[in-house]
Amino acid sequence: MSDSLQKPFAGIRVADFAWVGVGPIVSKYLADHGAEVVRIESSTYPEALRRVGPFVDDVPGVDRSGYYANFNSSKRGITVNLKHPRGPELIKRFIATCDVVTESFTPGTMAKFGLDYESLRQLRPDLLMISMPLYGQTGPWSSYMGYGHVLQAAAGYNHMTGWPDQPPIGTGVAYTDFLVPHLAATALIAALDYRRRTGKGQYIDFGQMEAAIHGLGTAILDWTANGHEQIRLGNHDMEAAPHNAYRCRDGRWVVLACATEKHWEGLKAALGRPEWCDMDRMRRRWQRINELKEIDRHLSFWFEDFTRRGDEPALQAEEGVEGPPVRKFTTEEVVQLMQSFGVPCGIVQSPEAMHADPQLAHRGHYWKLQHPVMGLRAYDGPSFRLSKTPAELTKAAPCLGEDNEYVYKEIVGLSDEEFIELLADGAFE
Amino acid sequence: MNPESPPVPLEHPAGPLAGYRVLDFADEKGQLCARILGELGADVIKVEPPRDGDPTRQNGPFFKGETGPDTSIYWWTMNAGKRSITLQPRLEAGRQILRRLIAVSDIIIETNMPGEAAPLGLDYPSVSAANPSAILVSITNFGQTGPYAKWHATDIVGQAMGGLMYLNGDDEHGPVRVTAPQAYAQANFQAAVGAMIALYARGVNNGIGQHVDVSMQEAVANAMDNAQQIWDIRRINASGPGIHRNNNGVRGARYLFETADGWLVALQVGGLIGPGANAIIDWLAESGEARGLDSPEWRARLTSMQPLPPEDTRYVEETLAAFLRTRKKEELVAEAQRRGAGWAPVLSPREIVESHHLAARDYWVRVHHEDIGESFIYPGAPFKLGETPWKQRGRAPHIGEHNAAVYGELLGIDAAELRRLKLKMVV
Repeated sequence: MSDSLQKPFAGIRVADFAWVGVGPIVSKYLADHGAEVVRIESSTYPEALRRVGPFVDDVPGVDRSGYYANFNSSKRGITVNLKHPRGPELIKRFIATCDVVTESFTPGTMAKFGLDYESLRQLRPDLLMISMPLYGQTGPWSSYMGYGHVLQAAAGYNHMTGWPDQPPIGTGVAYTDFLVPHLAATALIAALDYRRRTGKGQYIDFGQMEAAIHGLGTAILDWTANGHEQIRLGNHDMEAAPHNAYRCRDGRWVVLACATEKHWEGLKAALGRPEWCDMDRMRRRWQRINELKEIDRHLSFWFEDFTRRGDEPALQAEEGVEGPPVRKFTTEEVVQLMQSFGVPCGIVQSPEAMHADPQLAHRGHYWKLQHPVMGLRAYDGPSFRLSKTPAELTKAAPCLGEDNEYVYKEIVGLSDEEFIELLADGAFE
Repeated sequence: MNPESPPVPLEHPAGPLAGYRVLDFADEKGQLCARILGELGADVIKVEPPRDGDPTRQNGPFFKGETGPDTSIYWWTMNAGKRSITLQPRLEAGRQILRRLIAVSDIIIETNMPGEAAPLGLDYPSVSAANPSAILVSITNFGQTGPYAKWHATDIVGQAMGGLMYLNGDDEHGPVRVTAPQAYAQANFQAAVGAMIALYARGVNNGIGQHVDVSMQEAVANAMDNAQQIWDIRRINASGPGIHRNNNGVRGARYLFETADGWLVALQVGGLIGPGANAIIDWLAESGEARGLDSPEWRARLTSMQPLPPEDTRYVEETLAAFLRTRKKEELVAEAQRRGAGWAPVLSPREIVESHHLAARDYWVRVHHEDIGESFIYPGAPFKLGETPWKQRGRAPHIGEHNAAVYGELLGIDAAELRRLKLKMVV
């Protein structure tokens, strides 16, 4: 960033009551781009991710969770006991200095402490506030609890994941937690830009399920317009063939997709034009979709026959076959081969492989940040590079209550005596 | 205006982005991003090649299965409420018009392979020369530079190389992709955030434009839950857990169960293992189906958070499975929620559309396709902004439907000139 430019959200202060995945990922965008984001937590009831690992050295502790840390880079952290007689008042004094409030509690929780939007805008008329529970502020499910692991089921992702004759297994991750924050952040920053131009704040009722439905591709309209209900297809695709994952000799999997004629021509060339793929019934895309099983059979054999483990020689004689030895490819070489013929292809990368991925390293995806308890740890950066005002992960996640003194004294304006008195009285627990 | 043929797009002056203009040159990696900005109020112009239009008009599925430039359900979904113009930036005359369009636009979204945008005038130097305040959002498979920058990819390659697919699947069948394309969805959604941050940065920095370089691979990498950190901290590769949960990289309790009318998900065996277990044990006991789990010994063990031996885990899972198999999923979820357990039903697209919760929130919108004389239900507001509401802006446009309006009103190109440009295949 050139010296004359300021970070996008410099001067924006955020009171972040959100917890677990969705909310903290939204405010992480703001924090990593210059906002002063303060996580507001409780030490009596530490937020869920502080209690879930991975923990450094496998020793549980509120300041040791990598899960929590990753979503809370560049943020400050304070604790408050909202059930202490002075808790809500202290927090309101802080919010009066904030531009944005974020929260993701079950509807009604903020109001219980007098922290609903209508009350807070009395303190700060241009306040922007977003609430992000699973199912929104109203409706019969609004009080339903859960996490991304269950919302992905209600939002259609389980139904759309797995093999057609197998259970709807879901994505293996708390998927919607990592899908809907981007829509919430888009709406929040658009509203922030509107506020910048007009001076008007507002309230955003964000229901995670309603956002998640927009990630289902064509599944909704295929039902409402065509009466066709899409379902999980394993690694196949309604529109492309071949389209699958194939196991290589070293046990790793490679995916390959031919969505266009160009891809298919590339694949034929890469394979050396074996007879089966020049047959008449393979000529057009819709024909190949009909021949999916046949194509998969040939390709499964090909990946078995023509790949090798890293410790095997590149040229191998074929048992019982006269003639020169056959060229065999490592998993990496297969991908290179396919890519050189213009075929979309890639390795199913493990977390370990992701950390060693040269492309992600080139992009600087993982930020290494020093944490006082956890040491040097990898944090995810955003998937985009802004050429002039790039993200900067300025610090590791806050320890629980790390910034109490700064926030309560410098921002809220407590005297040393008051601070110590309230501390002793449990107001910050 | 004849109410039977509403304009596309419906006007949206109340959106937070009203007054901004977006040019959409994107494929599957960016069309949804542009649509979302339009639903927030921006004037989104989809720019298509002359005559045949955008190649993604050929993406299935198709309305009633009939292929054609205006029947793609994919096209309807991703391009609803945009204006469409035709333009050929491979011709110099086309690039001249493009520069004039960029001069009156705020955000340009393109998805060309790195290096292929420059001949079209869609690289950042060309864009910023035409409009120094313009924000160019380039969404590519792996980013603008780097060893894989020119690699080919579709959604499944993004899900594989971005690490999500490894976490997804089971031991028996191997890794699996989410059939609804999530690498594309992630790239679109995260690009929208990048565009918004750049737009805000422009507002506080005297109108500077910049280049937003989005990687689909990285967008997927951000959806790996805590698997990155499990590797970083514990050196364990989490992998596809099937019907179970991953707990810090190792297989945890079963979370998916079959009911009388489909499946449901129950956190940590629905609270049968964990601090909330008693609520579910009580429920089973009241129904006479606790199979002894309501004994003080079992209760103590199930709430203790200490790991159970495999045979005990199996007994607990089988007890719950037997209880659930004879009951209906939505009734089970309602009762579990009443008892404080965060369960949810596995819903299909049809069941989502029929959801009484979403109906109560007035979620769905009905979009009129006056060209075929029918209207269809579309997903509604992904967020409800109090002051500047989201709005669905009508059906997707036909090829070049707004040529006259955009070229005429925006650039002052008259009908005769437009005809000449059309003959030269520039528009």
